[in-house]
Amino acid sequence: MISTSAFVEALKKYDFSFFGISSAIFFIGVINLYSATHASDDMSELYIRQLGWFGLAMIMGIGVSFISPKNFFRFSWFIYIMFIIQLALVLVMGDMGMGARRWITLGPLRYQPSELAKIAVVLGLARWFAKSDSDRELGFPQLIVPAIIAFIPTILIALEPDLGTGLLVLLVFFSVCFYRKLKWKTIAILAVLGVISGMVMYNFGLKEYQKKRVVTFLNPEADLRGSGYNAVQSKIAIGSGRFLGKGFKKSSQASLSYLPENHTDFVFSIFNEEHGFFGSMFLIALYIILFFRFIWLASSVPRMFDSIVSIGIMSILFWHTFVNMGMVMGLLPIVGLPLPFMSYGGTSLMTFGICCGIATSISNARNLF
Amino acid sequence: MFSEDNVVRSHKGRAETLGNFIVLFFAIIFARLWYLQIYKGDELHRYSMENRLRKEVLLAPRGMIYSRNNQLLVHNIPRFDAVIVPQYLSGRKQVLEKLGQVLDLTSEDIDKTLKKNLRQPRYQPVIIKKNISRREVAVIETENSKMPGVSVMTFISREYQDKEVGGHILGYISEISQSQLPKLRERDNYDYKLGDFIGQAGLEEERDLELRGEDGHEFIEVDALGRRKRYLGANKLFEGIEGKAPVPGDNIRLTIDRDMQQAAYKALEGKVGSAVAIDVKTGEVMAMVSHPSFDPGQFSRGISSAYWSDLSNDERNPMRDRTVQEHYSPGSTFKAITAIAALEEGIVDAKTEVNCPGYFQLGRRRFHCWKQYGHGKVNLIKSLRESCDVYYYKIGTQIDIDTLAKYAKALGFGNKSGISLPRETPGLIPTKEWKKKLRGTEWQKGETLSCVIGQSFVLSTPLQLAMAYAGIANGGKIFRPRLVKEVFSNSGKVIRSPEPELISEIKLKPETLALVREGLKQVVNNPKGTSWWNRGQGIAMSGKTGTSQVISMSAEKLFMKCQDKEYRFRHHGVFAAYAPYDDPRIAVSVIVEHGCSGSGAAAPVAKEIVTAFMKKYEPEKMARNIEVQRQEYLRILRERKRIEAQAADEENRVEPTEGSEE
Repeated sequence: MISTSAFVEALKKYDFSFFGISSAIFFIGVINLYSATHASDDMSELYIRQLGWFGLAMIMGIGVSFISPKNFFRFSWFIYIMFIIQLALVLVMGDMGMGARRWITLGPLRYQPSELAKIAVVLGLARWFAKSDSDRELGFPQLIVPAIIAFIPTILIALEPDLGTGLLVLLVFFSVCFYRKLKWKTIAILAVLGVISGMVMYNFGLKEYQKKRVVTFLNPEADLRGSGYNAVQSKIAIGSGRFLGKGFKKSSQASLSYLPENHTDFVFSIFNEEHGFFGSMFLIALYIILFFRFIWLASSVPRMFDSIVSIGIMSILFWHTFVNMGMVMGLLPIVGLPLPFMSYGGTSLMTFGICCGIATSISNARNLF
Repeated sequence: MFSEDNVVRSHKGRAETLGNFIVLFFAIIFARLWYLQIYKGDELHRYSMENRLRKEVLLAPRGMIYSRNNQLLVHNIPRFDAVIVPQYLSGRKQVLEKLGQVLDLTSEDIDKTLKKNLRQPRYQPVIIKKNISRREVAVIETENSKMPGVSVMTFISREYQDKEVGGHILGYISEISQSQLPKLRERDNYDYKLGDFIGQAGLEEERDLELRGEDGHEFIEVDALGRRKRYLGANKLFEGIEGKAPVPGDNIRLTIDRDMQQAAYKALEGKVGSAVAIDVKTGEVMAMVSHPSFDPGQFSRGISSAYWSDLSNDERNPMRDRTVQEHYSPGSTFKAITAIAALEEGIVDAKTEVNCPGYFQLGRRRFHCWKQYGHGKVNLIKSLRESCDVYYYKIGTQIDIDTLAKYAKALGFGNKSGISLPRETPGLIPTKEWKKKLRGTEWQKGETLSCVIGQSFVLSTPLQLAMAYAGIANGGKIFRPRLVKEVFSNSGKVIRSPEPELISEIKLKPETLALVREGLKQVVNNPKGTSWWNRGQGIAMSGKTGTSQVISMSAEKLFMKCQDKEYRFRHHGVFAAYAPYDDPRIAVSVIVEHGCSGSGAAAPVAKEIVTAFMKKYEPEKMARNIEVQRQEYLRILRERKRIEAQAADEENRVEPTEGSEE
């Protein structure tokens, strides 16, 4: 009886919000996936597999949620080093696909270490920041070590080459630094430096064909798929949804296969085509609630490590969401990042499931206080 | 000092700022959604309904191929295919029936083709019939409005000027098959599609990446029936997409001389075999013909099943390139190599004489000379001139097989030449080690005796044979045989012009070369030589005949008349030569399968090729030689007249007797 009541107690304290919101998004996503692929011969069963992946992601996420945050802290360096090794291994002996070397094959399993490495970077950064004068504002000298922690995996990932994920790690790094009170002055200097050097490089350092070549080199998939064409078709799909959308299973862009990759990178376009501006408002509201849940969590935990991890994980999810939405509507170049819980893909679902698990674990530990 | 709890609390401000940023970022997303869905919504909705944007591939023209003298050998011609774009197909049954009538197909066939391509996007055209006639094109174009979804697409196909001549070296292009697709994608790291054309044999295969160029694409606006409306204007929506002009493939100038090539092909007509002619100073291949051949153009137009079954059912295997993909026993042409080895190793010299009774006894075994009753006393020059086997059997008892192999390999035998043609075979030069490894048995002395006359294990491609004789002609240099003289762009800029590449060089004593060359000269230019009847007119050819035994036979069968044998048991005729003998420029080798003898079947082909060469490149020398030959002939004639006159005088004096006319 004691164990039962302890279990009930634990259940009462269990924070369902993270899994709850993300499941809501996932179910919208899987219905959307079904709609996007139902007309296709070889992908019409894809949503079933996606449900399978979700089940697996849930099991892993919930499993992780029962690990005490103290253990995240204790093993953060170990996890970080493990992933650096894996990223290096991918470059040496990974599987080629679409002109890039991203996968490690373990028996029947194929997975991309770069996906989970994002979480490892967050753990590494949190560990470092939690230990070093965590009440002081950050200037350039304090950025040196964290920059090394973030840049090693960034470079390894960019070499695969996977520009999108590499950039994402950098964005997460800056988000975490911002939260850890990066001085406004430093931010301004960094921003000015970044913009100037970027503009000089792009406008004067490179010729037109070189720019294209660099882009193609860094992201070979983009050229294979004819990114410009996809971007335009994606814009047409989004715009054609107008306010209320064409309705469930009515996407003409998808059924005519005008939009390739409509089950992975371009799910948001199909969603917009079928459910319009109104549907998007609802979906984006769910994402915003999820992100704010993370921010609230970050401010209500007793330990700095937990707080930084919450922000870091939130920024992983946020940047995926923003970059994906931005690229399908023609605001950002097409770099191939999935939309969390919406895009088809086992590894990415697993990653986001573990993200929720870590947040839930942190939240539950706070209630135990 | 704060407690850790307070530290977290002190960051609350930053957390709130982060939250504000998130709201700001999503505000941007919403603004963009508003712009696309509300402000531009109606326009984009219309676009999506009509699907007005279409990407069309612009095929890169494939590089052209020229002869050494800039005659166009291979170029591109348009090919028209009837296609259906499923997206625009309406009134399916009537359209298919109508199209079937036009194309002489049943509507079920068309339906089947469409079903096969169900997996691809519906806006992509499905090819219904390839290479349709101009009349069919005209009908489809005019009846366009009655057959929505049907249209004509233009592809590029290859035209090979000389059809079968040189089909093997030029090769052909044809569609990538399902089974080739993954391998080729891996090899070239390029996203080939099923049905893309790619070089599948010969130079078209070996030089595919150079010839192919890069396909481009353009974006066009089409109307609701899929017909092209106009080029994309300055529509802001379509910003960021731009066409890409196709990059034409590079052109190739061959080392092949068209006249020699045609002479070789003509000379081989009615025979099964091959001929190779190479420049002895550079290794450039000037003629290379395998017969029977095929018309490469058929493949690029979508080969007809009748033509294909003709090719594949032909027992003579026309698709096989007999110049490099097939190897034969070089027969007596190999004696020149054995002679070089023996002279260099001091086993024989100019004075060495062997008595040939028609056979050679080694232990219990009797090795026969081709001349049943023997050559009598034979020295080296005579041994080559009259192709005495016994002389070489004698060498065979004294020479080590590995020593012979050393010389043969230095002259290019036993290894792939590295010519840019696919599926070359290396031939074979046996060594003791090779036999042990392959058969597990020791080398037998008797086996050397077969090898020195180019039989049994010794195998050579016609190309290797030509290379070796080029080596004899130029003093021991073996060049990598080349087919490509230069690669140049459409603007005429030379991109690559490969230099002659020396594979190996063997230092030979001047006496060795002089003796062997004299022997080879007499083969053709001495009335007793085995190829005297193919000396031609003023071509100054040196050479060696050979007979390649198809199966080993008993003595009785050996001397049976070749023509009486069953076709498949007849010997192959081999001939290797170079010319002109005073300053050699080309080396030629010819093999005629089941041609019975080198002098009868192969040498006439070589004569034609060398004649074509001399006519074009050494006309003065040839004229001079003809004049010398004529004077010689006249001298003989005068001599004969004189003798006849003398005889007549005597006849007048003596009583005439019956008979004895010359």
